[in-house]
Amino acid sequence: MADESKPFFPVEKAHHVKPPPPRRPRLNTQESRFWRCFRHSELASGLILPVTALEFSPVAPFHLAAACSAAVHLYDGGASPSLAPLPHSPLSGFSDVAYSPSFRCDGSLLAAGGESGIVQVFRLDKAGPPLRRLSAHARPVRFVRYPRLEDKLHVFSGGDDALLVYWDVPSETQLITFPGAHRDYIRAGSPSPTSPEVMATGSYDHSIKIWDVRVPSSSNAILSFSHGDPVESVLFLPSGGLLATAGGNVVKIWDVIGGGRLIHTMEGHNKTVSALSLGRVGNASTALGGGEPRLLSVSIDGYMKSFDFAAFKITHSMRYPAQLLSIGFSPSGNSRVVGTSNGVIYMGMKKKLLQEEKGTGSASVFDGYAPEPKKQVLKPTNYRYFHRGQTEKPRETDYPIKRAPKVKLAEHDKLLKKFRHREALVSVLSKKDPTSTVAVMEELVIRKKLLKCVANLDVDELGLLLRFLHKYATMPRYARFLMNLANKVIEMRPEDIQSNKHLSKHVGSLRRRVAEEIMIQRSLQEIQGMISPFLIIAGR
Amino acid sequence: MITGGQRFVASPPAFSQDGKKLLVCTGCTVSIFSVSTGMQITELEGGHTDRVTSVVVVPVGAPSSKFMSYCWTSSLDGTICYWDFASAELIKKVKIQFPVHSMVIPSLSTIGSTEEGSNLYAFLSVEDINKPASEKKALHGQVRIYDLKNQKPVGGLLTETRNPEILYASKNGEFLGISNKRKLHIWRIPANNFRFDEIKKIKLHHTKKLTCLAFHSTLRMVAGGDDTGRILIWYNFGREKFAQNLQNLKGTKNPSDEVKPGVRNNDDVDSCTTWHWHPSEVKFLHFSSDGAYLYSGGNEGVIVVWQIDTGKKKFKPRLGSPLLYFTESPDPSLSCVSCSDNHIHLLKMPTMDISKSISGIKPPFSFPLKHEGSCTQVAFEQTTGLVAVSTEDYCVQFYSLFDNHEVSEVQVCKRNFQPADDVMLYVALVAISLDGSLMATIDVTIPEEKLGGLVCLKYWTRGSLVAEYLLSTVIYEPHSDAQVSSLAFRPGHNMAVTSSYGGDFKVWVHGSHASRNNESMQRTGWRCQSVGSYKGKPLTAAVFSADGSVLAIAAETMITLWDPDSNILVAMIGDTLSPITKLSFVGNSEYLVSYTHSLKPQLSVWSTSNLALYWSHGIVTEAVSCSHDESQFAVLALLSSPGDADAKGNGVIFFFHVEDPVPVATWTVTKAKGGSLAFLPANPSLHESSATNGVNQLLLIFMNGEHEYTIFNPHKEEDIISKNSRKSQAAQDEAERLGYTSIYGDLSNTNAKHNHFQEVPFAPSERPWETIFSGSSHVLPPLTKLCTSFFESLLEKRLENSNEMIIDADL
Repeated sequence: MADESKPFFPVEKAHHVKPPPPRRPRLNTQESRFWRCFRHSELASGLILPVTALEFSPVAPFHLAAACSAAVHLYDGGASPSLAPLPHSPLSGFSDVAYSPSFRCDGSLLAAGGESGIVQVFRLDKAGPPLRRLSAHARPVRFVRYPRLEDKLHVFSGGDDALLVYWDVPSETQLITFPGAHRDYIRAGSPSPTSPEVMATGSYDHSIKIWDVRVPSSSNAILSFSHGDPVESVLFLPSGGLLATAGGNVVKIWDVIGGGRLIHTMEGHNKTVSALSLGRVGNASTALGGGEPRLLSVSIDGYMKSFDFAAFKITHSMRYPAQLLSIGFSPSGNSRVVGTSNGVIYMGMKKKLLQEEKGTGSASVFDGYAPEPKKQVLKPTNYRYFHRGQTEKPRETDYPIKRAPKVKLAEHDKLLKKFRHREALVSVLSKKDPTSTVAVMEELVIRKKLLKCVANLDVDELGLLLRFLHKYATMPRYARFLMNLANKVIEMRPEDIQSNKHLSKHVGSLRRRVAEEIMIQRSLQEIQGMISPFLIIAGR
Repeated sequence: MITGGQRFVASPPAFSQDGKKLLVCTGCTVSIFSVSTGMQITELEGGHTDRVTSVVVVPVGAPSSKFMSYCWTSSLDGTICYWDFASAELIKKVKIQFPVHSMVIPSLSTIGSTEEGSNLYAFLSVEDINKPASEKKALHGQVRIYDLKNQKPVGGLLTETRNPEILYASKNGEFLGISNKRKLHIWRIPANNFRFDEIKKIKLHHTKKLTCLAFHSTLRMVAGGDDTGRILIWYNFGREKFAQNLQNLKGTKNPSDEVKPGVRNNDDVDSCTTWHWHPSEVKFLHFSSDGAYLYSGGNEGVIVVWQIDTGKKKFKPRLGSPLLYFTESPDPSLSCVSCSDNHIHLLKMPTMDISKSISGIKPPFSFPLKHEGSCTQVAFEQTTGLVAVSTEDYCVQFYSLFDNHEVSEVQVCKRNFQPADDVMLYVALVAISLDGSLMATIDVTIPEEKLGGLVCLKYWTRGSLVAEYLLSTVIYEPHSDAQVSSLAFRPGHNMAVTSSYGGDFKVWVHGSHASRNNESMQRTGWRCQSVGSYKGKPLTAAVFSADGSVLAIAAETMITLWDPDSNILVAMIGDTLSPITKLSFVGNSEYLVSYTHSLKPQLSVWSTSNLALYWSHGIVTEAVSCSHDESQFAVLALLSSPGDADAKGNGVIFFFHVEDPVPVATWTVTKAKGGSLAFLPANPSLHESSATNGVNQLLLIFMNGEHEYTIFNPHKEEDIISKNSRKSQAAQDEAERLGYTSIYGDLSNTNAKHNHFQEVPFAPSERPWETIFSGSSHVLPPLTKLCTSFFESLLEKRLENSNEMIIDADL
């Protein structure tokens, strides 16, 4: 039997219907706990130019390559506690801006494109000039990718000249070229995780195409579909059957095997999505592919979002203070990096790195099967059972009885409840929130106590009131009420205002505000006078 | 004819002895409500002809009389009736010559005194009607004793007071008290062998006017509340005067030597303490049945629970209106509080949660005088037969007229209600569209010295339930700072009009101007479509025609007709003698009714076809209602002029045909001031007689100034009183179990069982435990079955033994 008596109405609700508060993410999900256990720092901050790509090496110790201006920076993924630049970093040898570094599947070579149109291949174990220089493109090459599977000889590249090339790296020869593969710049692509011969490319002509080098080069893609916006990033999901593409504000998930069927559209971002990456969430041994996979996307609205493509929902989002251009998530699961347009790489390193490695290592060595640690269930025979605290969670069979939620009241509401009107007015004036202040004043009017309150204010509190009035009295929303109040206050307390320097200063500025407002009104009236004849003529 | 809207809180209610029924005085009848459902079960009628003032339930003495349900009621018509309220039958009627304002029967409180031998003495607070009312100083109130069994008065007057006061009796029936100005009079009534000359009296003095009192249930303690909100508690009153015999008196110390803290005028008490929390008059005091707590309540609508030993307080706030009475039921977990807004809340006791509310129609409240003209408190919803009443606590109450109970309540202003002397915020206008899907309200904040006044127009749409309305649009200051004079919906369209005394009217439409985007439903709302004015005159009334094609607006004495869609002035009709108060179209005809309220009252019928006055009368009109299909209308007229101060409020309802200035029918009514009229379509399920009669049956409802209403058929001179259908709704259900039985269930009747065992002849079996388990294991039945039979065999053994023992003892 619920209590049918009326609830307590806070004063603000009575007068101003507020829009519902913005939906806040629930902070207590397992996902958010995972993302919170990263320690945030800046990996590099003095790069000035945009960080266009971040790529983690596929093999331990998972080095990181970052393309920024005319260099590719390399960081040691095995360094602790955070990533550290490798001794031979950065790789120079670019005559112009470097783009799209890509590790070979064994992690020993790195290919990168550039503004000059030349694809260069570097070795990573020591410094030196590039091993190979592959030149076919006439325009900048923004897309260079090694196949993801055991194929150490070939590389894909695509450029702004809409040319897609399949290279044999040792001989520096073009095995297959697709001239006019797209009708616009090729800016993105992803090798298939299941086949070394299959590659997806995305272009600014809105289309995504899937290529297979085994198909005779009739310069036709095996599959093509339109994203609807210029494609910024393409990524095969681990199964190889799904493809994620980013363009415009949306990320779309496609079923490649099903012939390019759109499965889901994720509309979480407000501005162009710039990059996609795969991540893994969960505390199980991430190094071995445990945990749940997530699609991470960054956008130039400064948000990084984690998207669960099994459940098709955004599970977490994180805000950065700059436009984001690139993202990388270490296969070890220990670090995540985000590159911005102003040359800063933000890094998150996982806390408690050491303990976890110890904990997960032992179980996974044998068979890859990690038994779930059994939580001991407390039984009434146990002594601790009777000392369970507030944090004890109810079991499924328990019937929780909720305590009536405590009504949180603002201070002015509490004071109004006790009929301490002047104190309520002073308390809300010192909060400096105009809506609640006006609401309290209107409530006092209904109680016929506002003028009495004004008469009882001491000099400091009167100063508060005058400061509030001169700030908000000319605001159109409150003007009708507050201008009258200002008049009354000045009428009621002339001696105090004249004797006190601060108060008279407030009144002076109030007068200036009012004069300004009158000027504005007058000029608006002039404009109205000028426009209205036209409107009448137009109305005929 | 259906009547309803009675006041439930004119006198204190009473619980039946089993705590499952509540007896509420409703006018000249007593209604009986079920506590578990809050619905009316039955009504005691036919006994009284005037207001019932008190109900006394006869307590249950022996368990044999468990199903007895008798009560005594007293009334202003000078009779006392004895009822069997389970079957709603009048058993006995006692005539007393004076109007009875309060009655207590102290001897009923002591269990066992209902035996046949003893007499029943009722203590009555009556009004002496022999003294002329013009004598202000005369003592009109008397306290008398009446022997109900022999039907004769006993002894003389106990006391005389200026006005009849309410009598209070202590729980054990030993003491009786009234509050008389600044004094409490307390009598001690001898419990057995009642004799008039043995009644002793003391007075307790205070410096303020006392308003109520209460006796402690066990101790000799009395509490009194005064009109400044103080509560005084006198301990151990009447120790000298009420002492049993002279020996006791001698044993005590000399009273003048004693220090009596807080006692005035050397009253006969040990000490007196004062508690003060209530800011205004205390309306009720009540000691809890265990005597540990004192409940008090007053104008501010808060029940205060005082712990008597420490004086600590607990509160039950926000009951919404001034409190009047507190009644405790025989069941300690239930009590009820009567509020002045015609609600009786049933409280679950230790927590004081409201478990059910018996809610009558809320009474009217007084608007500030200056704004009275522009207020309508009542709006009728035609389709479902509901009335919307604006209430003092900023709500609109929806009340079902045919069923006579509250349906819902919509909170218009989200503000905590504090009863105050002068209304500063009120719901001024309520309008409901013809199909009931839309509602509009106007709430007005009165400025404090020209500061902070606000008029607020709110549009509501109906939710999924009947009379559930959800706020859709809020418009602050629809006519800048001018008062809104009227509010009307256009039939068949999502359109409304407001007119103001500031000289303009606005046509509002419900538009979804974000229709290009289906998702942004929040953008839809009411907005102003057009603004109009007529020569800058204050616009006093506005109404749409029945088909919605014409908008008529009264500009003081002129009537202007507009096309609502294009906002073009079509025609003017003029001129009345004084500003028009209200306009109404007569059904689908071309006629328009208007009336004026000022010193030259006039009821006029205008023809819109030839733009002229058709006919008029010089009668003081209070309300007009037009039927929607026919060319008939009803007028509620006052018999006195509006300036007449001591108007009794009697009025006449005229039923006109629009072609004919001679009324078709007339009815005289009382309390017509502030009344209202409406036509309702007959509800065939409720009103069989009209359904059988014809097709276009309309019922006329008259609601008087106190929100009591009558529904009748204006076409027939029928006087068949069909009673409220509410009776049928109350199911006599099995109430919850209480106390011990709620935990362990009913105690089994051990006596009966014992007899049963003795009666049944018992054949002892021969050592069953030997035979049960014999046999091979795969033949044996499962162990569970074996066990029960085994234990049964043991039980049999025991009984056999006991039987033998009894036999032995007999031998």
